[in-house]
Amino acid sequence: MLDGILTGLGTAVMPMNLLMVFVGCFVGTFIGMLPGLGPISAIALMIPITYGLEPSSGIILMAGVYYGAIFGGSTSSILINAPGCSSTVVTAFDGYPMAQKGQAGKALALAAYASFTGGTISAIFLLVAAPALASVSLSFQSADYFALMVLGLTAVAAFSGKGQVLKALLMTVLGLMISTVGTDRSTGVERFTFGYIDLMDGISFLLLAMATFALAEVVMAVLKRDHLKEEENQTDSSQIGSMAVTKEEVKEVAPTALRSSVLGFIVGVLPGAGATIAAFLAYGMERNLAKAKEKLKFGSGSLRGLVAPEAANNASSSGSFVPLLTLGIPGSGTTAIMLGALIAYGIQPGPRMMIDNPDVFWSVIVSMYIGNIVLLILNLPLIPYISKLLMIPRTVLVPMILFFAITGVYLVSFNTFDIYMMVVFCAAAIGLRMLNFPMAPLLLGFVLGGLMENNLRRALMISDGSLSFLWERPITLVIVCITVLVLAAPVIQRLLQKKRNQSAPDTEFSAVNNEKKA
Amino acid sequence: MSNHQTPAQPASGANKPPLSLNKDLIGGLIFLALSIGYGLSAQLIPYFPGDEYEPFTASTLPYVLAVLGTVLSATLVINAWREQQKNSQEQAAPKLKPIQGYDWSTVAKLLAIMVIYAMGLKWMGFVIATTFFLFAGFWVLGERRKKILFGASLPFVLVFWFALTQLLDIYLAPGQLFALIGFGG
Repeated sequence: MLDGILTGLGTAVMPMNLLMVFVGCFVGTFIGMLPGLGPISAIALMIPITYGLEPSSGIILMAGVYYGAIFGGSTSSILINAPGCSSTVVTAFDGYPMAQKGQAGKALALAAYASFTGGTISAIFLLVAAPALASVSLSFQSADYFALMVLGLTAVAAFSGKGQVLKALLMTVLGLMISTVGTDRSTGVERFTFGYIDLMDGISFLLLAMATFALAEVVMAVLKRDHLKEEENQTDSSQIGSMAVTKEEVKEVAPTALRSSVLGFIVGVLPGAGATIAAFLAYGMERNLAKAKEKLKFGSGSLRGLVAPEAANNASSSGSFVPLLTLGIPGSGTTAIMLGALIAYGIQPGPRMMIDNPDVFWSVIVSMYIGNIVLLILNLPLIPYISKLLMIPRTVLVPMILFFAITGVYLVSFNTFDIYMMVVFCAAAIGLRMLNFPMAPLLLGFVLGGLMENNLRRALMISDGSLSFLWERPITLVIVCITVLVLAAPVIQRLLQKKRNQSAPDTEFSAVNNEKKA
Repeated sequence: MSNHQTPAQPASGANKPPLSLNKDLIGGLIFLALSIGYGLSAQLIPYFPGDEYEPFTASTLPYVLAVLGTVLSATLVINAWREQQKNSQEQAAPKLKPIQGYDWSTVAKLLAIMVIYAMGLKWMGFVIATTFFLFAGFWVLGERRKKILFGASLPFVLVFWFALTQLLDIYLAPGQLFALIGFGG
């Protein structure tokens, strides 16, 4: 393992790769700051640039963008109460009230320190957990992979929130459907091309990611007239104040940062849970642990309320790399994009990645940590200046982002048909977003579609067409059982809720009767 | 209160609010249609001789997905319908949020500009098409300052074009229109 870490360190500290971390963090921070544009859009916008780079440099750049975007999201949450991404929504609960009290600088500094703590702890955990899981997963067969992918996809749906499970499952199925368009690689048969030559190679992952995230998010902001709110943002973001943090404050928040980091990493490793759930859980945990007097401060500028989600969402981001790097199964929309980019490089993430491409595997892990350091020592002091970029009028910024998204796809294929398809997917994504359908499961389904089909094909061939491969091996059986449990959990929860609601009036009735008797 | 009732309406429905589709119902119906359409299109996938003996063919996954999509969307439709019926009895039907209040016209214009840009790229080439795209984009979003309209479009595109063609050595084909009249190509 030490050899691997040294290899990774050697690759990550190469001048080119260090430059990529710097650029990634800076660009990510800027894009993440723009309300509505999250890490997925930020990474999608950077993919075309990474195609011209070495695989390790490209992935390092994307990892930098990822961290930068989350940091940028926190910045806009604190400064203008407009979270750049869903995982920084909780940061605004206490960060924005602090900014209103003139403590924006302190809030930003604390958020950066908390993110750094989360990043450090999770990087250590990642160093230990990733190789261990990778060595276990070396014994996995096609059937296990198929079952794992089904688990990953269902878990994403199950964690998608109340009333959203069915919709998330449908979006996953839609993603899988889109992945079947084009020539089937195993048989050479055309599927759903309807005679269009442009569809024979299938729909590009970059095109789908750009259209459903980068384009759709910008257009949604226009739809909601968010671009008209720029002026109020400009006035607030210019008043940042001191970034100094006292010893007492550090003492107060240190245990919070540690607890939330551990929780965030564990939540991040779970497929589908992601940084948003980690941030909410950490905030809830911290509020429950707080004394009654401190509890009242939550929501009105509590330091613990700010640090908890920041540490957790950053730790969770590292945690989400564990299933991606070791099993080749992304647990979130962001890691799904990374998987697509790795596959485009000809690198198949999974247990063999550590053996076949140790430089990429370890340099990604090491560069994540370097990214955290960059954010702390470079981005934090630059925040007052970076936030000035928010002053660029949205009337200019929106067409520019649209241009970068379109050109990013066009410059890969030089085919204008791709732009037409982007417009169609963008319009469909807007419609689906308006109907409250989540987008990340679509991307996950699309990215995993081909891999899932190949593994299912192989498993069925080996078992001579019988579905017995699902329960013949203990590992497969365990994964299948977990999948069933994950799928059944929301149904059971709903039934329990119904039962509780039914019993509640009875209890009230008996309570009233008892009172009358008394 | 006048109680006008059409002859087709049952007496019990006299006090019911007018039918309004909620978001889940609309979404479910769209997915149901999509899944059925996908399943029907899957029948067009050609078979090779001997495929009938294979446990897995090119159309296996599409059929599975069509069935899965149909079942899930039908469940969503049924759930949404039940929910709607329940809510309409409680006189609080969750109607589809009004589509007013959203800037649909600007979005439609932006999407149209993107389509025109795609056409323009082919016929007018990168520099002219992109300049028009950015200019039109700024204009549609309400930008009227000449300094920005002209200053942020053409100079930006020229710098970008220079970076692509001269620094990154990426070939950008001139528009077909110029090739037709004898320039470039």
